[in-house]
Amino acid sequence: MIIIGENIHIISKAVSEAMYKREPQHIQELALAQVDVDYIDLNLGPARKNPAEVMQWLVNTVQEASDLPLSLDTMNHIAMEAGLKLCKKRPLLNSASGRTDSKELMLPLAKKYSIDVVISVLTDIGCPPDVDSRIESIIDTVTYANELGIPNEDIWVDPILLPVSVDQRQVMEVLEFVKILPELLPGVKSVIGLSNVSNGTPQPLRGILNRTYMVMLAKSGQYSVIADALDEELIRLNRGELPNIVDLIYGVMDEENLELSGLSQKERDYVKTARVLMGGEIYSHAWLEV
Amino acid sequence: MIYHPPIEVYAGRVREVVLGRGNKALKIGGENILPLHLFEGSVANPPRFALEVYDVEPADWPDWLLEPFGEVVSDPVNWARKCVNDFGAEAICLQLESTDPAGEAVSAEQAAALVKKVNDALDVPLIVYGTGDEKADVRVLSKVAEVCDSENLLLGPLLKENYEEIGKVALEHGHSVIAQSPVDINLMKELNIKLCKSFPANKIVIDPVSSGLGYGMEYSFTIIERAKQLAVIFKDGMMQMPIIANLGGECWKTKEAKAGREQGILWEAITATSLLLAGANILVLRHPESYKLVKEIVSG
Repeated sequence: MIIIGENIHIISKAVSEAMYKREPQHIQELALAQVDVDYIDLNLGPARKNPAEVMQWLVNTVQEASDLPLSLDTMNHIAMEAGLKLCKKRPLLNSASGRTDSKELMLPLAKKYSIDVVISVLTDIGCPPDVDSRIESIIDTVTYANELGIPNEDIWVDPILLPVSVDQRQVMEVLEFVKILPELLPGVKSVIGLSNVSNGTPQPLRGILNRTYMVMLAKSGQYSVIADALDEELIRLNRGELPNIVDLIYGVMDEENLELSGLSQKERDYVKTARVLMGGEIYSHAWLEV
Repeated sequence: MIYHPPIEVYAGRVREVVLGRGNKALKIGGENILPLHLFEGSVANPPRFALEVYDVEPADWPDWLLEPFGEVVSDPVNWARKCVNDFGAEAICLQLESTDPAGEAVSAEQAAALVKKVNDALDVPLIVYGTGDEKADVRVLSKVAEVCDSENLLLGPLLKENYEEIGKVALEHGHSVIAQSPVDINLMKELNIKLCKSFPANKIVIDPVSSGLGYGMEYSFTIIERAKQLAVIFKDGMMQMPIIANLGGECWKTKEAKAGREQGILWEAITATSLLLAGANILVLRHPESYKLVKEIVSG
């Protein structure tokens, strides 16, 4: 699966400080640390002050340290365009959506610079509540993008994943969405903010949720994830270096009757996590302790 | 051709929990059907009702709430007796309001002595609620557990901050406990999982926090409903504890309930009936008239 490293994110205090003070060191270290990814995401957040200037500084700073293509992540179209202009490699515009402002301001940028663009299922009224309304929204927006001249091959669809601690049901529904996407919109790619699944979960437990869900997405045909590039086990899983774990997770998805007693602690934890993510067990922060 | 209605058979069963001991013993829970799906099986035990008693004379209750009790509102032992003898309470819920560290801060010893007096005077089981102060409740409920050794009181609330300490003492002295989480199914399950590591699951009752009508009752309803579905349909062992709806206090603190006698009684009765429909196994009410109303509905 294609991995977009999420670690240069405004939500990190150190990152936000470095951006504010224009200190390149921490940002460049983070860029270099994300060695095993395919893109580096630069998340600016709302970027209220000098958005264009901050984005340009960020793009230049990262490109000085890394040759990887960039994923520019901001809701601000001025910052977006300022950044796109400076990208040395074909970047990913992250993201557009079915919101009116996004259709009018973001999607035309993807066309103008002829680049890949993430389109999420968000609309003017927010995140669609179920699979059917997600489908309805994405078909509308992709059709709109096609009419602008953006081909399906340049479109990365994001179904918007909510945390398992917030809405356990939609975690499975997103897998359904991913599975049927190629039939709905042939040629489009899929992308997802993987760490969202564990938002709200205590920090030490987040990784296994992210990793397990990544494997589940892979089985469902997912093309790419925006993920924690510093999670070594996640990278190893993605490289196919942990086939026993992958088999166990697939086993849960195929409703095989898995016997926990012969498994190691780590294997058991993956099985329990997959069961929770499949909705077989109601989620609680203590899911590994049962 | 004879019509056979489709009957669901569920995999799970809510645990039966015993309150009190000996002749006082009262069982709650034990059902293997969803609430009111009487056509699909039988309830092991009907919903039960406790009336509230306070350890300190209420200061801000409207007249129509004080009137049924008369003089006994300053005498918890006789207040409890009256609830049983005159109003037919199946259990008493003693609220230890005076132990609130921000209020009178009555000592744990004093509170425990009162609990023992009330319990000794009753021939129905006793539920004891601390104030919900996570630190004070450890002191107070631990002392209560010790002084009322092996009486199998139902003690609570146990919160995520203090379940280990109170649970340990409650178990040592043979009591049952109430695990309380703030209207959240995931936190409810987490607390049950953690508590069950050191406390028997068949001595735990869930308090999902029961808000009054107009003040979030529908959230409490949903949580109770989901917990029952998970327990009965999905056989989730950490959801199979009976549920207590401690709603009297929540209803009577609303301005609507304080606005008039009839409205207040209905406010409490409607909240109780709704949570009963959601699946509550034992309900704590305050006014004898609302209890009477709900009891009539249950008895058909």
